[in-house]
Amino acid sequence: MATTIEAPARPTRPARRRRSRRVWRNTAVGWSFLLPNFIGFAVLTLAPVLVLFYLAFTDWNVFGVARWTGMANFRRLIHDQSFWTALENTLYYTALHIPLTLGAALGLALLLNRRLRGVAFFRTVAFFPYITSIVAAAQVWNMLFSPQYGPIDAVLRPLGIAHPPGWTVSTTWSMPAVILVGTWREMGYYMLIFLAGLQTIPAQLYEAARVDGANAWQRFRAVTVPSLRPTTFFVTVMLTIGSFKVFDLILLLTNGGPGQSTLVLSQYIYQTGFQENHFGYASAISVVLFVLCFVATIVQFHVNKRRSV
Amino acid sequence: MKRLVSAALGLTAAASLLVAGCSSGSPAASASAGVPSGPTTLTLAGWTLSTTPEFKALADGFHAAHPNVTVQLKEYDATNYDTQMIADLAAHSAPDIYVLKNLKNFYTYQSGGQLVDVSDVAKSLGSGVGGLSDYQVGGKAYAIPYRQDSWVLFYNKALFDKAGIAYPDGSWTWDKYVSISEQLTAALKDRGSKAVGDYQHIWQSTVQGFALAQTPGAKLTSGDFSYLKPYYDRALALQNAGAQPTFGTVSTNKLTYQAQFGKQQAAMMLMGTWYIATLLKQQRTGDADTFQWGMAPAPQFDASTTGTSATPVTFGDPTGLGINPAISSDKVSAAKAFLEYAAGVQGAKSLAAIGITPADTAAVASDFFSLKGMPSDSLSKFAFSTHDTKPENPVSKYTTGLQDLLNDLHTAVMSGGKGIDGAISDAQSRAKSQVLNQ
Repeated sequence: MATTIEAPARPTRPARRRRSRRVWRNTAVGWSFLLPNFIGFAVLTLAPVLVLFYLAFTDWNVFGVARWTGMANFRRLIHDQSFWTALENTLYYTALHIPLTLGAALGLALLLNRRLRGVAFFRTVAFFPYITSIVAAAQVWNMLFSPQYGPIDAVLRPLGIAHPPGWTVSTTWSMPAVILVGTWREMGYYMLIFLAGLQTIPAQLYEAARVDGANAWQRFRAVTVPSLRPTTFFVTVMLTIGSFKVFDLILLLTNGGPGQSTLVLSQYIYQTGFQENHFGYASAISVVLFVLCFVATIVQFHVNKRRSV
Repeated sequence: MKRLVSAALGLTAAASLLVAGCSSGSPAASASAGVPSGPTTLTLAGWTLSTTPEFKALADGFHAAHPNVTVQLKEYDATNYDTQMIADLAAHSAPDIYVLKNLKNFYTYQSGGQLVDVSDVAKSLGSGVGGLSDYQVGGKAYAIPYRQDSWVLFYNKALFDKAGIAYPDGSWTWDKYVSISEQLTAALKDRGSKAVGDYQHIWQSTVQGFALAQTPGAKLTSGDFSYLKPYYDRALALQNAGAQPTFGTVSTNKLTYQAQFGKQQAAMMLMGTWYIATLLKQQRTGDADTFQWGMAPAPQFDASTTGTSATPVTFGDPTGLGINPAISSDKVSAAKAFLEYAAGVQGAKSLAAIGITPADTAAVASDFFSLKGMPSDSLSKFAFSTHDTKPENPVSKYTTGLQDLLNDLHTAVMSGGKGIDGAISDAQSRAKSQVLNQ
């Protein structure tokens, strides 16, 4: 926060006192703006996270005192099939969800960044899934996916697919189904961010490229993509974190099933913690998820920094 | 950004912070029974009070019998009841008496020292109270059952008549059930009805509950789940024959069992006796069609337990009442008197009056069957009052973990994603490496 607007060339003593008072006042004003948010963050996020790191090394079933067990939870993790299944499924979701959403969001943004009639309407349409209640959306998607009565398979059958996928009730297709809905839900939000990014690209760059004889594809590759890099970076980071901790969508759509085919890490944490009351072990899995997100983000920052040099 | 990461991880810890730093001790409860002479107020947990009248019925009934004791209700959310109750207990803000909604979480409460020893109440109750033994650990009782629902076969007499098939007579084994369901489906289709033979809800208990209760030698904590195979083979056969809606249809369309049976979409349905109250109410309000229905004992493992001279084996968890150890010591005797009242004949009668199956079913059968809309045939009465009800969730440290992995087996098998043999061997290896070794 900028504290002084103009500094006199040779401050006299009262002026200096006045200045320090002003600095103090500005700092206080700054803090007063920050504090409400920071208190919320400290009480609702920071403190629980610190407690969580402690709990990860204990055996605690809610009642009584947490018993320190050292690395026991982490040793148990290594031999826990369900944990590995959940990790694998989380990576599966992430690996497909990020490129799909990124592509769809960018595509939509490019499409809706031109002057065309009703652009506001189409932008709203694309953004709508994001503000729709996830509970309602999951219910409707489940009906659409229904293998016997669902319209999706009803469309696929006449197209020559004799045995359309069972989607949310098939162990092979449940994950693709969830990824599809996840992409549908989030692309509108990231489209908005891309739209904002696109509007910051100076028109002169495009004009210059055009003068140089660049076609649409070349303009996209040479002007749009590099100019959008900060936006793309932000979107990728957010998507990565979002994909690693995907929870509500899966809970509502498949509840991790059938079998363990869509069990992801956050849901496994929820199950071990809140259903089986193994809070220590659940905290240990949370720590793993945290490290995963953290490392992925650091790597992305690193790559971004190297590219921008 | 970091904040977002933290927020995700804070999920688990958020609740733990709320309850952190709390420890629990078990105050020595006075065993002297009887109600104090001065005015006393007890608090009792309940869920969705507007549609669950049992708590108010018990509170009012007890107050009528003991005018100096008032029972206040504290409302909880039905679906998150256990999570909320666990948090409240750990934070010492739970009511004096709380309900154990099922047996699955009893171990958590009992081993966590959150239940007062109520062996004296258990001793004073007669043997007619079902489910008493489920709450005993090391020879001591930690809760008292006031409801004991058992799974029975509900059937739609009108649809049986339409199909021209004889009503259940109490002699059915599972093979008979499968063949009747298929016959019903075919006959109903011939006569232009869209209804099918039976409806099986998506819960794992619809298959596993019976398999565990009825198969000789089956034990949940043995880690040997081979007893499930014949039950799944039959469930899949029914599904493949079109005699019941498939698992996929039920789960993607979120079918409700109340509508499937109440709106006459299926001629038979296995369900717990709690459904009686719902069905009566829905027939009254028009949410369900009005038709003649009946109850029969659940199909049996083999012929040895069929027929009305034998006792059919079925399953169901009792619903119990326990006393919070944080209760002030002068209220303990009043709380115990409440438990005794709720599980005893008087409580049973006030529950029966609102269509709820009390723990003592034999004591209230006549009251129960005088309710408007109840069937009057003798097999329905037999099914309601005579059964050997095994717990769905036998109490142990491993129950929750095992049931969770068996639920994965259920969804994988019923959706056709995995064969039953492969699913059983997967579940067994998971049980061994993840649950039973803890």
